[in-house]
Order: sequence, then structure tokens, then C-alpha cells
Amino acid sequence: MLLVENTKCECGHQNSVGTVLCESCGKPLGYNDESDLPLEMRYDGVARRSQKSNPNFIDRIWNFFSSVKIAIYLIVITFLTAMLGTIYPQENTFINNFDPSVYYEETYGLPGKLYYLLGLTHTYESWWFIGLLVMIGTSLVICSLDRVLPLYRALSKQQVRKHLQFIHRQKTVFRHKVEGDAEQWVENYGAQLKRKGYRIHLDGSALLAEKNRFSRWGPYINHIGLILFLLAILARSIPSWQMDSYITIPDGDTVQIADTNYYVKNEKFTVEYYKDEELPDKLKGTSRAKLFETKAVLYECVSNCNDQLQKPVLREVKRHNIVVNEPLKYKGIKLYQFDFDTTPRLNAVHPVLVDKQTGQVYGPFDLPMKDSALQHKLGPYTLDLYANYMEFDIGDNGEPTTLSRDPIAPAFIFTVKGPGLDAKGEPYIYFPMQKDKVKFSQDTINGALANKIEIRVDGMENVDFSEASTYLNVRMDKALPYVWIGATFSMVGLLMGSYWQHRRIWLRVDEGELSLGAHTNKNWYGMRSDVAGALQKIGITVDPKSLDNGGNNA
Amino acid sequence: MVQIVILIAVLIIGGYAIGSTLFAADKGPLKEGSEPPQFKLADLDGNLKQLSDYEGKAVVVNFWGTFCPPCVKEMPEFERQYQKWKDEGLVILAINLSEDTLTVNNFVRRFDLHYPILRDVNRKTERSYGLKSYPTTFFIKPDGSIMEIKVGGMTEAEIDERIERLLQL
Repeated sequence: MLLVENTKCECGHQNSVGTVLCESCGKPLGYNDESDLPLEMRYDGVARRSQKSNPNFIDRIWNFFSSVKIAIYLIVITFLTAMLGTIYPQENTFINNFDPSVYYEETYGLPGKLYYLLGLTHTYESWWFIGLLVMIGTSLVICSLDRVLPLYRALSKQQVRKHLQFIHRQKTVFRHKVEGDAEQWVENYGAQLKRKGYRIHLDGSALLAEKNRFSRWGPYINHIGLILFLLAILARSIPSWQMDSYITIPDGDTVQIADTNYYVKNEKFTVEYYKDEELPDKLKGTSRAKLFETKAVLYECVSNCNDQLQKPVLREVKRHNIVVNEPLKYKGIKLYQFDFDTTPRLNAVHPVLVDKQTGQVYGPFDLPMKDSALQHKLGPYTLDLYANYMEFDIGDNGEPTTLSRDPIAPAFIFTVKGPGLDAKGEPYIYFPMQKDKVKFSQDTINGALANKIEIRVDGMENVDFSEASTYLNVRMDKALPYVWIGATFSMVGLLMGSYWQHRRIWLRVDEGELSLGAHTNKNWYGMRSDVAGALQKIGITVDPKSLDNGGNNA
Repeated sequence: MVQIVILIAVLIIGGYAIGSTLFAADKGPLKEGSEPPQFKLADLDGNLKQLSDYEGKAVVVNFWGTFCPPCVKEMPEFERQYQKWKDEGLVILAINLSEDTLTVNNFVRRFDLHYPILRDVNRKTERSYGLKSYPTTFFIKPDGSIMEIKVGGMTEAEIDERIERLLQL
């Protein structure tokens, strides 16, 4: 157990434990008060708020976070671990479905495997990294509170007449013999300091001049900014605060943005390339995109939103032509042009049925590639859709099959009934694409029926296809405005603390003997020139350098 | 007093932030022991079926498409397994990979399948299950967690062995 410290100053002021300079008169307290070296003026010598002689459990936690040393350790550890996260790409930088447990080992070998096993592939989302950030945040709050409150109190009730030891042990000191009326002299000097922007407080023959006290709050405003910044970043884990996903939309399609109530339609995607004469020589002959543009429409679902059986009812909320760097923006959601694919996709055809004997043409009828009507009536003919295939092929067992679910080589098998045909109907296979018609020899398969009827498309106007698909990046970051607010606070605090200095001058005249001491947190050169400049104005010439009383940074 | 308020605030905010990272780690790719995502899909008659309807039962969720030969081979095998085990409470849910109605109906008629065939729409369910290749089969224990994820086709004996194991849990 430590000795109970006597914290009462000779001026009668009761200071709290841990006080270095008497809160009232400024007299140095404690064992080193015999020295005449410059004083440690940090936080004006007041005790930190939490300094107690008998800390309990909560006080100990508080004191742990209140320590600047701990704060620095935390920051250094965070920096070092953040560096670890940059060795290999993080998991969240991969867009496609990929398996991290395989990827890292395959790509980087054993170090990659270890990297994955240690969880460094998601460093910045790991519990311990977030934990470090939380601890830094806590330390910021507690360190600041512990110092700013006592400092505020000390600065708002400063005593004008300071202890002689306090004055003589400043880093800028001046002593002089004053002739005549001391109070008059102090007033004259005060007037000169006032012209330099100081606020003057007089107490008989003692004076306190103070300037730019607000710069002392700079670091704390900076800390408030950093805390806001940290909170904003932590807030990203709130559901629906942050999104970064990708959607593919073929021309004319409407696609839901996953996990939202929004749907996007791509009315038309256009890509324009530079002409050869627009390109420098070495790029001639290559296709360089000049413009990607998606004519996009954003819809909000208003009803049947989660109903599997019914179509959702959509309401248009925004229409925008998305080009690179000009996203569609709506209520915090941003849709960026990300990529495109110019593979065309057949959506529907509008074929006609030709009676080859009479030359009569029936139709056209609507035949979408997916979910077509099952029956089409065309004059005397009836087509019943028997089967359809997206990517037609003949399987190993000789039966027709499909190789995928995308309309790459679509085929339709109809049962055709009509004049001169079997009453039960005759099968007819139809390939909308000419290449498939040839490849699978449509006419041979259809046999005799191929001589009686033909299903064909007349002209491109009867073909409905998507020329391209657009890839959009969907982003949402509700935390961003708060990040900016935090950054602004932080910057304002930095500027306040960096470009202004808190300067104070204390002086007192005792029986014709002037004692002047001055303190600033930085720019001692300016401090001394303020003191010397004002002295010059009342007729005392002194070399500013001679005011230097030693001490670091002085 | 201020100390306690601030430390409590730190506990709440920090606890939430750290907690959500631990929770997010749980949300990664599905694996044995994790909870399969919920779905609500229509069967061939247009009745909505959801996974939670089968709580407390052994469920086999199989993703299939007519364009995938091993899936096609498996479907009649699942039918035989279904007939073999249905009285013991086995549930088979075969989710079609967003193909069109005619294709699915023709297929089911051809193989005469009796277990529920569910229709995924626009690949939503398949995405929520993080499917990478077909077929993929999830064996879900009566307690609602995944016993095994089998990517790729299985022989009938392999299906049988897994179902037997599943029903013993």
C-alpha cells in the first residue's frame, strides 16, 4: 500500500490524487519541487479523471483503456495485423462462387493453405480484428474523456496570480526591474498583448494573457471524428446497410436484386467500339470499347413480392442510362456498369405454318423459348406442343435430350392435326435456328410430314432475341455519409490543433520585481516573439532568444 | 456513473460488432451440421411446399434438371428409395433447376415419380444453397441440420446406405 499522498497545496487548495501542478496557484507538487528545471505542463498538470488511490474492478478496466501507452500498442498491433491481410487476396475480392478451402492451397501452395487455416483470408471481418477496432474505439473514448474533462475545468477557472516557482520554471521566462507604479505597468503591457490578440485577465499587479485556447480542443474533436468513423464502419455489419453484388440482365429482361425489393430491367444494352482511325497505331485492329450503356429501369415491388405462384406487381421508380461512372442512383442503391456479354440469346420466334399443297400460309403465332402455350390453332391445323428442348441433342440412348437449360439450340416437338393428316396427329420437330435445322436434318426426321407442311419464320422482324447481356454491380453503403461526417470532424480537429497554438503568459510584479513566464504547446519561437514584441512596444528591448529558459522543444 | 454508462455502451456496440462477425462466419458455404436455407416453392399441382413443413423428419433435398444426365439417372432410383422408405417417414423433395413447365411435366410423367417435385424460379433457391454443379443432394436430419452434402451422382446403393443412416438419427 502506498502512502496516502498529501495533495493539499500550500495555497490551501485541495488537489486530487495524481495532480502535478497545483490546480490553483500552479506550484509544483510532490518530491521534485526543489528542482528548477522547466515544468512538465502537459494537461496543465491536472490529474487524469480516473486517477484514484483505491481503484476497484471497473476502475482497473477504465485505467487500462485510459492509458495512452496501451492505445499505442493497440494501434501498432492493428497496423501489423492489417498488413497480414494484404499478403494474399482477401476472400471478399472474388466475385464468382469459389471455394476458398481449395483456392488458396492450389494457388499459393502450403503458405496459402496456412493463410487460409489461420483465417487471414478474411482478416478484416474476423472477430479479433473487429475486436481490436472496438478496443481502439474504447481507448479513444476513455483516453479523451479522462483528459478533456479535467483539462476543461482547469482552463476555465484559471487563477491569474500564479506561484513564483510556476512562473520561473516555464520554458519562456523574463525577469526585470519595474520602475514606478506596478499596476500601471502591467496594464500597459496588457494593452500591448491585447493588440496581439491575447485575452487579458488582471488581478492587481498580476496578469494572465491567453490566446487561441480553442486549439486545445482540436485533438478531442479529432477523436470524436475518429470514433464516428469507427462506428460507421462497424455499422456496416447491420443487415441491409451494405451491399456489393453483381447481376446479369439480358436485353429486355427484368431481374430482382437479391435480398431487396427492387427489380431492374435492361431495356437495351449498347456497346460502341472505337473505329480504327480513332485508335493509335499499335491498337489498330483491336476492339476497344468507347461506350457501354445500359438503358435501365428500376422497379419496386408493390405486391405479390414473396409469392411464388403469382407475378410480382412492379412500380417504376427510376429510369437511367447507366454508363461507366454514371450509375443509376436511387435511395442509396447504386447500379454501376460492370461488364457485358454480347452472346445473343433467342427469346421467342413468331413462325408461320405453310400448307405445302395449297401454298396457304397460317399465322404467325407466338412461340417463346420458355413456357410457351401448349396449343396453337392455325386455320384448319392444330399444333399441340409435345416437348421442347433448350439445347437439343440425341442422348446416348438415342432419345432426344437437352444439354442445358439455356436456349442455345432450341427444338420443339408438335403433334400436328389437320386436313390430310392422321386423326391422332403426326409429330413434327421444329428447330427455330437454321444451323440446328441443318445439323439435325429437320426434314429427314419429319419424313413425309415435311412434304405436307412447314413451320418457318419469315424475316428477322419475327425473331425476338436479346443481342447482349449487361452485368451490373449493385452497391449500397448506408454508412458512407457517416464516414464522411467522421472524416470531416477529424480533419477540422486536426487543423484546429495544428495551425493554432494555445499561448499563455503569466506575470506578476512583486516589489518592483517583474516575473514573467509563458507557455505554448508548440511554436516557441512565436511565443517568445510575442512576449518580446509587446515588451518592445513599452520601451524594453530584449532579444527573444534570451527568453529561452531551456527544456525540450523550446 | 459515467464510467459504467460508457463501459456498457462499449459492451453493447462492441459485442454486437464482434458477435456479428462470428455469426457471419457461420453464414459461409453450407457444410455438414449447418442449417439449410428455407424455401417455399410450388409443386407440380401449384401447392406451396416449404422445408419447415417437414420439421422433425428425415429429408432428402435433391436438385435436378432434365439437362443433367446423372440427375436423370438418379430420379427413378429416388422413386424406388421413396417407395422403400416412405412408411418410415422419409421425405424426398426434388427441386427442379428452373426449367419450364412442359419439360418438367413430361419428365415426371415419363418416369412416373411420386415424391414431391418442386419448381425453383429464376434459380433463386439453387443460389441460396450455393450450388456449383448438378446434381447436388442434401441429406437433412430430423433436427434440421445437414447430415451430408453429396455433389454429383450416386449409385442406388449409395443413396440407400445414406437414407438408412439418416433414418437412424
